[in-house]
Amino acid sequence: MSIPAWILDIFAAVMLLVAAVSAGQLAVARAWTRAGARDADIAISHLLMGIAMAGMLVASLSTLPNVAWEAVFAAMTAWFAWCLWRESRGGGAGALARGHHAPHLVHSAAMLYMFAALAGPSSGGGSGMAGMAGGSPGGMQTLHAPTLAFVFVLLLIAYTVRDLDRQARADGYFHVVGRRFAPTGPALATAGPAPAGGPGGGDGVVATMPRAAQAEAAVPEPAAAEPAAERLLLAPAAVKACRVAMGVTMAFMLIIMI
Amino acid sequence: MSDIALERNRTGWRDRLGVAGSVSAGLDARRVLQLILAAIWLLDGVLQYQSFMFTKAFTQMIGATSSGNPGVVARPINWNATVVQHHLVLVNTIFATIQLLIGLGIAWRPTVRLALAASIAWALGVWWFGEGLGGVLSGAASPLNGAPGAVIIYALLAVLLWPSDRITASGAPAPFVAARAVGAGVARGLWLVLWGSLAYFALTPASRAPTAVHDMVAGMASGEPGWLAALDRHAAALAGHSGLAASVVLAVALAVIALGVFLPPPAAKATLILALVVAAVIWVIGEGFGTILTGGGTDPNSGPLLALLALAYWPLVPAAAPQRQILLTGQHTEGTPA
Repeated sequence: MSIPAWILDIFAAVMLLVAAVSAGQLAVARAWTRAGARDADIAISHLLMGIAMAGMLVASLSTLPNVAWEAVFAAMTAWFAWCLWRESRGGGAGALARGHHAPHLVHSAAMLYMFAALAGPSSGGGSGMAGMAGGSPGGMQTLHAPTLAFVFVLLLIAYTVRDLDRQARADGYFHVVGRRFAPTGPALATAGPAPAGGPGGGDGVVATMPRAAQAEAAVPEPAAAEPAAERLLLAPAAVKACRVAMGVTMAFMLIIMI
Repeated sequence: MSDIALERNRTGWRDRLGVAGSVSAGLDARRVLQLILAAIWLLDGVLQYQSFMFTKAFTQMIGATSSGNPGVVARPINWNATVVQHHLVLVNTIFATIQLLIGLGIAWRPTVRLALAASIAWALGVWWFGEGLGGVLSGAASPLNGAPGAVIIYALLAVLLWPSDRITASGAPAPFVAARAVGAGVARGLWLVLWGSLAYFALTPASRAPTAVHDMVAGMASGEPGWLAALDRHAAALAGHSGLAASVVLAVALAVIALGVFLPPPAAKATLILALVVAAVIWVIGEGFGTILTGGGTDPNSGPLLALLALAYWPLVPAAAPQRQILLTGQHTEGTPA
């Protein structure tokens, strides 16, 4: 017996929901305009990963051949690696790990690995999924280099736990697209220079702020004029939930394909 | 009601839920260790979803832990194995989801207390009904195979990392993270019992037999990736027929670790480093990373938990730690004048 199909269906549904939220974020933020384009790459990556993972989990949701997804995620990995290098230049390994783009680099690289390391159906009835494009419905997909899969699982879980622990509104870390995080004047005045971690490396900013300033910084931009859908889709809590769901699902997929 | 009274009520409510620390994004040492514990629970939950766990092999694995245990312990284990076998998919999905939720709950500050409490209850249940008390009563326990049961260390960590601070009579800060919730004396006692029992298990007849270490390590190679299988084979060859000598060396190291937390900080640090090294050796050589890489591991086993425990006993710098705490969180902590 393998993993019941309904469990894979649930994970696939969650990934489709993440993809839908990401698409909604891109739409309400008008990501194709200059004002809405900031961090649109992250929302696009969530959208593509959601679709790709749903297709891996459930064969009928498969959209592109594996080689096409490999190319997509290779490009995405290269892009986030460049973004991370740019934002953490001179900051050392710590800045790299804390960087705004670090979790997205890990997510993209894990996706690339999953598509590139498919070893085909296992004969021993081990772990795996039947939904990979090109895979036989009854077969179990496994991965080459399981040690690397385990390393990715540890990284994904580490970022998931860190994301969960992090305040959803404190420092703009969960900003994903469109709405620019803009702390109010006093918060900026007391926050000092931005850390080397870039826009997402806000740990240091919040840590050195007085509590009153932290409370002000925790208030997002005025939202009174925003439509409800926009408020909901661009809320840091929604971004955080999507990222946690994606991290857990990706770790789940890697583990069952070892 | 005055504003001050309202604020007090709010603070009390937030304290009870464990939310108070979420005012800022600051992390203290205990929170970092809680997050590592959350990560291990999360990994545990994900592992429980593997296809192996949805097969009869899983129920056989549970049933096998009753072997050698007294009847009063074994009967509930067999009952549990039967229940799991009859409702395998449903029960295993519930098991996996509970573990996943415990991990997520510890990582999310508003639910940290609830999740830690749930983890204690869950761990105690699994220790008995799923791990046969870790083989402690059956004579099969060995530090190399996860004694005294990895899951009981989850419960111990939940107690030691509980988000409360025990105020000492002298007002002195806790000497290490594990002492913050239960006090230094109790924390040291628990450490002594755990590592002392590991030293004892290293010397039981089953562990000190001439080929015991060899057989245990060599047996781990099956199904592992090439590099790990080769490492296991080398380690097994090294142990050869010198099981007794290997067991004695291991027992001495474990006894030194057990006593280490009673020593002055520099010596305590040295024994904690030894504990980290022993935990790493146990995890890699003895446990093969919890056999996760074979696709059949139910949990990461005891190695990472022993290492996490060692970190919780790392001596804190008396003055610097609370100062940094205030800087990061804006809150006073144990031992800091309010």
